[in-house]
Amino acid sequence: MTVVARIANAGAKTACIVLAVALAGCATRPDASNPAAVKAFEETNDPIEPLNRYFFELNRFLDIIILKPVATWYQGVVPDPARNSVRHFMDNLDSPVILANDSLQGEWGRAGVTASRFGINTTIGVLGLFDPATGMGYPQHDEDFGQTLATWDTPEGPYLFLPILGPKPPRDLAGYAVDQFFDPLTYIYWNGPYTVPVARFVVNGVDIRSRNLKTLDQIERTSVDYYATVRSLYRQMRVNEIANGNVSSEKLPDIENLNFDTNEPQAVAPTK
Amino acid sequence: MSRLNFMRSAFAPVAFCVALLASTVGSLPAQAANADPAAEAWVSNVSQQAIKIISDKSLDRTGREAQFAALLGTNADMQRIAAFCLGQFLRTPTPDQKNEYIKLFDNFVVKVYVTRLSDYHDEKLVITGSQLKGDTQALVQSQINFTNGREPVKVTWWLLKKDGGYKLFDVNVVGVWLAQEQRSAFTSVINNHGGDFTALLDHLKQQIADAENGKLPTTAATTAQ
Repeated sequence: MTVVARIANAGAKTACIVLAVALAGCATRPDASNPAAVKAFEETNDPIEPLNRYFFELNRFLDIIILKPVATWYQGVVPDPARNSVRHFMDNLDSPVILANDSLQGEWGRAGVTASRFGINTTIGVLGLFDPATGMGYPQHDEDFGQTLATWDTPEGPYLFLPILGPKPPRDLAGYAVDQFFDPLTYIYWNGPYTVPVARFVVNGVDIRSRNLKTLDQIERTSVDYYATVRSLYRQMRVNEIANGNVSSEKLPDIENLNFDTNEPQAVAPTK
Repeated sequence: MSRLNFMRSAFAPVAFCVALLASTVGSLPAQAANADPAAEAWVSNVSQQAIKIISDKSLDRTGREAQFAALLGTNADMQRIAAFCLGQFLRTPTPDQKNEYIKLFDNFVVKVYVTRLSDYHDEKLVITGSQLKGDTQALVQSQINFTNGREPVKVTWWLLKKDGGYKLFDVNVVGVWLAQEQRSAFTSVINNHGGDFTALLDHLKQQIADAENGKLPTTAATTAQ
């Protein structure tokens, strides 16, 4: 068997396994005769929930055996100022992607802030190791192409949880892919085409994890369903990021007459 | 030492720039036309009580939970929140199950939030604005400023006007509505047990038992740093 044939064969096998898991991993759609259940199913918008849960558990496993120990070690051994410099350095590297998305969203004020931050922190902030820009009135903010798509009215799509990458519904997955093209680091060849982006991904992941050790622990231990909690947290945080941190009073659920005794469940109430 | 001096000399012009910027940016945004000062005062008062309970090192866990439960009982619309968290399954429980659920829910919420709020002991909450939502609801924006230089956390309070006063319905912390988060977990548990309401009751009991057996980091005293 030639090498090519062997690879093709392995590829076909993998595809079969993935397909089988995906088919087995479909959530059962509720009976159409139960409108409340159907509406709730559509709101949850997680048609491949069993598969997502499988990857979620896989990530939790990887977290327990690799990421969490490394992050705990990192937090314990590296002093705070050094870790903050790592964070500032990573944030500064994100500037081109944030600037591109600020501009695509027509947020010229925020694009100006991003450009100023990059200029100030790269020079006065010694290549981004310090963040004097925040003190000068240019605070850090985040943008990505997933958010840009959202401001162009692209819906999020069904929930998708991927190994390593975590929650990435189609819109945010597409955004993530596009952001790689905006990112100058993608084109840096050092010791191999992927060395720099992969190193950045790993350091960024360890740093973020080290900053959330306690928070994630608490959420896990205080959740009746950790997977569903993370799904809700992810979606709510994305909505918040897309709205640039402005909590809207208009999109809140109607709770005026909600109680156990008189009101129909909210899921049944006609919305149109 | 020389590096420190370098930093200092580098910071002098920076400080000058900051002063210049502060004078231009310094004016605060004007208050919204439909602000609700009474709601702001209410939130300020209740949040101070909550922070006081969480920061009180003379209390043990039971004492802290009891005080927090009393604070929630008088100031939050617990029945409505409990109903909201059931989502599509509001009609599912039998009357007995409903009563048990309400009791467990109160207990669960106290245990969860005494734990999750332990980070905020000795911190200060500053009200930043408010707006009325219809005739009977109000949103109050606030910010927790940390003494250790951590980035401020934005907190929004959703209140209902009731009997001339206010009742808390939900709290939004950095963009996440807590009751919505609970609702998605609760409905998911019931859904994954084929609509069986007792599954939720069992999960709540389990969580409460775990908290009582000390599996949760609960006290302000244990959160060093």
